[in-house]
Amino acid sequence: MSTAERLMSSLTARRGERVLAWLAVGAVGVSAVLSLVASPPDAEQGGLIRLMYVHVPAAWVAYLAFAVVFVASVAYLRTRKTRWDRVAAASAEVGVLFTALTIVLGSIWAKPVWGTWWTWDPRLTTTAILLVIYVGYLAVRRLPDNPARRARWAAVVGIVGFVDVPIVHLSVRWWRSLHQAPARLIGVPDVSGSMGVALGVGFIAFTLVYLYFMALRLRVGRLEERVVAEALSPRIGQPAEALMEEPARG
Amino acid sequence: MSALGQALAIAKKDLRIEVRGRHVAGTILPFAGTLLIAFGLSLGPGRSLLRQTAPGLLWLAVLFASVLAFRQAYQAEGEDGAFESLILAPIDKASVFLGKAAAVVVELLALEAVVVGLVVVLFDLPVGHAPVVLAGAFVLGTIGLAVVGSLFGALAEMPRTREAIFPLLVLPLCTPVLVAGVKATELATTGPAGQAGSWLGLLLAFDVVVTGVGSPLFVYLVED
Amino acid sequence: MASLTDPDALLDEHKPDAGRTGAAPAVQLRAITRVFGVAPALVRVDLRVEAGEVLLLRGPNGAGKSTLLGVIATAISPTYGSGTVFGLDLVAGRDEIRRRSELVGHRTRLYEDLSATENLRFVCALHGADERRVDPALERVGLAPVAGDRVRGYSQGMRQRVALARAFLRSPDLLLLDEPYAGLDDPAKDLVDEEIRATRARGGTVIVATHDPTRGSAATRSLYMDGGRLLPELRRAAR
Repeated sequence: MSTAERLMSSLTARRGERVLAWLAVGAVGVSAVLSLVASPPDAEQGGLIRLMYVHVPAAWVAYLAFAVVFVASVAYLRTRKTRWDRVAAASAEVGVLFTALTIVLGSIWAKPVWGTWWTWDPRLTTTAILLVIYVGYLAVRRLPDNPARRARWAAVVGIVGFVDVPIVHLSVRWWRSLHQAPARLIGVPDVSGSMGVALGVGFIAFTLVYLYFMALRLRVGRLEERVVAEALSPRIGQPAEALMEEPARG
Repeated sequence: MSALGQALAIAKKDLRIEVRGRHVAGTILPFAGTLLIAFGLSLGPGRSLLRQTAPGLLWLAVLFASVLAFRQAYQAEGEDGAFESLILAPIDKASVFLGKAAAVVVELLALEAVVVGLVVVLFDLPVGHAPVVLAGAFVLGTIGLAVVGSLFGALAEMPRTREAIFPLLVLPLCTPVLVAGVKATELATTGPAGQAGSWLGLLLAFDVVVTGVGSPLFVYLVED
Repeated sequence: MASLTDPDALLDEHKPDAGRTGAAPAVQLRAITRVFGVAPALVRVDLRVEAGEVLLLRGPNGAGKSTLLGVIATAISPTYGSGTVFGLDLVAGRDEIRRRSELVGHRTRLYEDLSATENLRFVCALHGADERRVDPALERVGLAPVAGDRVRGYSQGMRQRVALARAFLRSPDLLLLDEPYAGLDDPAKDLVDEEIRATRARGGTVIVATHDPTRGSAATRSLYMDGGRLLPELRRAAR
C-alpha cells in the first residue's frame, strides 16, 4: 500500500476516528473561545466580525473538500481502486455541507452589514456555483447502478468541475469589478494579532471536523460495499471478502 | 483514417442528419423565438430596459437552446442504438467527442444568426457597431458550450439516465461563457468595443481548458 | 451431470482446455462474471472457442446469451474474470478486437434519418473499409432498390438486412450474432446462414445465440446457457 493509503487506513480505523473526534471537539472549543471572547470586536462591524471566524474557515473546507474530490477522481481513473471512489464520494458529501454552510453564513453576515441578503460578492457567488456543481456531482452518482460506471462518471464530473471553478471565479470577479469599486470581501478587515490567531485556530478546527466527518463517511462507504458484496456472494459463488478486494472493473 | 478525419466524418454525419431531420431548425429555433418573446413580455414594454438587457437575454436564449440541441444530437444516436456502433468502432473516442461538438457548433451558429436577428428586431440591439467582435464572442462562446455539452450529452444518452441531469451539469459549468459572452456582446454593441478583448480572451481560455480536459476524459463516460 | 448449484463441479466438467492443441483460440474466457447492480447476468463463465468454429448458444430468454456476446464483442466489460479474443485481452486489446469482430445484435444501430447507403458509407469511414463495397453488400441482401431511402421508413426485417450487409461489408474474423433469425422471413434467414457459411469459409469464427430450433445446421458445436451459466456440453458434434 502506498503511504497515502496507509495514512488513510490509520485515520479511518476505529481508534483513528475517536482521536479525530476528540481533537476536533477540542479545536472547535478553543476556536470558539478565541473568536467569541478573546478577540476584539471590529471598529466598523462590532461583534458581527466574529462571523468571519466561522465563515472563512467553512469556505476553506468547502474548497479543500472539492480539491480532494479532484485528486481522488484522478487517482480512481488511474488506479481503478474503489477506495479512491469512496474518498471522492465522501469528500463531496462533506463538501456540500460546508459549502452550504459558507453560503448561509455569508448571507447572515451580509444582511446587517450591507442591508441585503445577497451582495453578489464574487467569492460568494463562485461558492454558490460550486454548490450547484457539487449537487450535480452527487446527482450523477445516483444514476448508474453499476458501481464501476458510477465511479467513472463521477470522476469525470469531479475533474471537469474542479478545473472549471477557477475560470468561473475569474469571470465573476471581472464581472463584478465593472460595477463597483474593487470588491471588498464582506467586510474582512486586515487580520493581525489576536484576530489572526483566532482565524488560524478556526482553520485548524474546521479542517479537523472535515477529517472526522470523512472518517465516518468512509466507514459507511466500506459498509455499503460489504452489503453489496454479501448480497452478491451467494449468487455468484464467491466469498464476500474476495468480492470486496477486487477493484471495480471497466 | 486519422483521428481528425474520423472526427470530421462524425461531424459530417451529424450535420447531414440535422439537414435531413431539421431537428434544431424545426423545434429549437421556434423555442428560442418563443423564449425571446416571453422575455420581452415579462420585462417590457419599456424599450430602454429591453435594449439594456438584450445581450443577457440573447445569451440566455442561446444557453437554453444549446441544452436542447445536445439532447437532439444524442437522440439520433440513441434511437436505434447507433451509439454502440461508434463505441465499438476502433477509433479514438475523443474523435466522437470532438466530431459531435463540431457539428453542434455549426448548428448553434446558424441558430444564433437567426436569434441575433430576432433580438435586433425585438429589442433594438445595435449590431453594426463592432460586428467582428460580436462574431468573435459568439464563435468562442458557442465552442465552449458545444464542448461541455458534447461531454455530458453522452451521459444523457446512456441507458437509465434522467434527462434533467444534463442542464444541471452544463449550466453551472458554462457560467464563464454566459458572463463573458454577455459582457463582450454589450461592449460590441454599445460600449467601447476595444475593451472586449479580455472577455474574448477568457472565452478562449475556457474553450482551451474544457477541450483539453474533456478529450481524454470522454472515453470514461462512454466505455462500459 | 453436475449439479447446477455447484460452480466448481461445472468447471471440472467443462474442462475448457482439454484436448485442444494448436493455434491460439479465437475466444478464451476465464470465470467471466458480469453483474448489473446485484443481479448477476453471467456467472463464472469459462469458454474456449477455436478459430473456424461455428458455436451455437442456446438457452431461454434472460439466460445471459446477449450479455456473453456483448462481453466477447467488448461492448460490455466483465465485472470479474478475464478473457482474450484472438489472444488479445478484453480490456487492453479492445481496439484490435473491435477491428476484427462484428456484433449483430437485437438493435440494428442505424441512423434513422440517413439512407442505408449513407449508413454503410459511414461505417466504412469509421473502419477504414472501401466504400465501393457498400453497393454490392446492399445488393446481396436484396436492398438495392430501397438503398437510397431513409432508414426511418424501413421495416424491422429490412433493418436487419442492413445489419447483415454491414457484417458482410466488414468481413470480420469473428462474427457474433444475437438472435439473428428473429422477425425474419425464410429467405432472410437463409441470408443469415449464408453469411455464417461465408465467414467460416474464409477461416472466420461464428458464435450464434438463438432459441430458434429450426436453424443452426451450420453449427459445429452447441452450448446451452441458463441463469448466466454456461452448462457443460452434452455431446460433441463431430462434423
